[in-house]
Amino acid sequence: MTFTGAIGALCMLPLRLIIGLCVALRIHPNVLTFVGVVINVIAGYYLATGRFTTAGFIMIVANIFDFIDGKVATELGAVSKFGGFWDSVIDRFSDLALFIGLIYLYAERGRTDYVMVTSVAMTFALMTSYTRARAESLIPKCKVGFMERPERIVLFMIGAFTNRMAAVLWVIGVLSVFTVADRVILTWRELRRLEREAAA
Amino acid sequence: MSLVTLPARVLWHAFFWTYERATWQYDLMVMAILAFVWVTPPAWLGDPMAAGQPGLIGWAIGLFSR
Repeated sequence: MTFTGAIGALCMLPLRLIIGLCVALRIHPNVLTFVGVVINVIAGYYLATGRFTTAGFIMIVANIFDFIDGKVATELGAVSKFGGFWDSVIDRFSDLALFIGLIYLYAERGRTDYVMVTSVAMTFALMTSYTRARAESLIPKCKVGFMERPERIVLFMIGAFTNRMAAVLWVIGVLSVFTVADRVILTWRELRRLEREAAA
Repeated sequence: MSLVTLPARVLWHAFFWTYERATWQYDLMVMAILAFVWVTPPAWLGDPMAAGQPGLIGWAIGLFSR
């Protein structure tokens, strides 16, 4: 087992208990998704006020909700197309809440350089999901690039708990640019291949 | 694969990322990211919230310059 695989398996132990509890209480997965975004907005507020450690703990709680909604939907037999759509839309708001919190913090401190770094990271984080959604309306699958939402969330937590948010924003920004580029390249290649096959 | 093309291939695969999570390539990328985040002195990045904190490189430089 790899290092990250072992960490993932370890994190799944308490999550299974929470999933079991939500299933037993028959909490609708769409409600879990919504609770997740509300808690992320609170985390964004704490980031905006510079209280990174508190924000980190709140992010953990928020992302438990984000993570378990799909699993609870499966176990309750409540998987629906709208649920998938709702989850994707709400996830974007959750991302934005954290970025906006940081933009406010840096703007308040007069750090326009980091307002720009955060804004660029935010733009490409959103474009990461947009490029995949748009690509998958044209080609069967577009799952390339490193910096997806789980990676972003874990990095935000690392930045918050160890007070290294600037480095984290650089990593998210640069790797999100690469991820968007990867998805554009893959879509271009696949469309060319499909066109060639159709012409043959 | 020649030794000349190996670095170019490694760079290309790091840029055009197609590996799944929980693979050794993913682990390597995670370690590189964590090294950057934790080792780089915050002052080098002009970190607005961690000014004055040395980071691992700064700590090591301070240790040897005593």
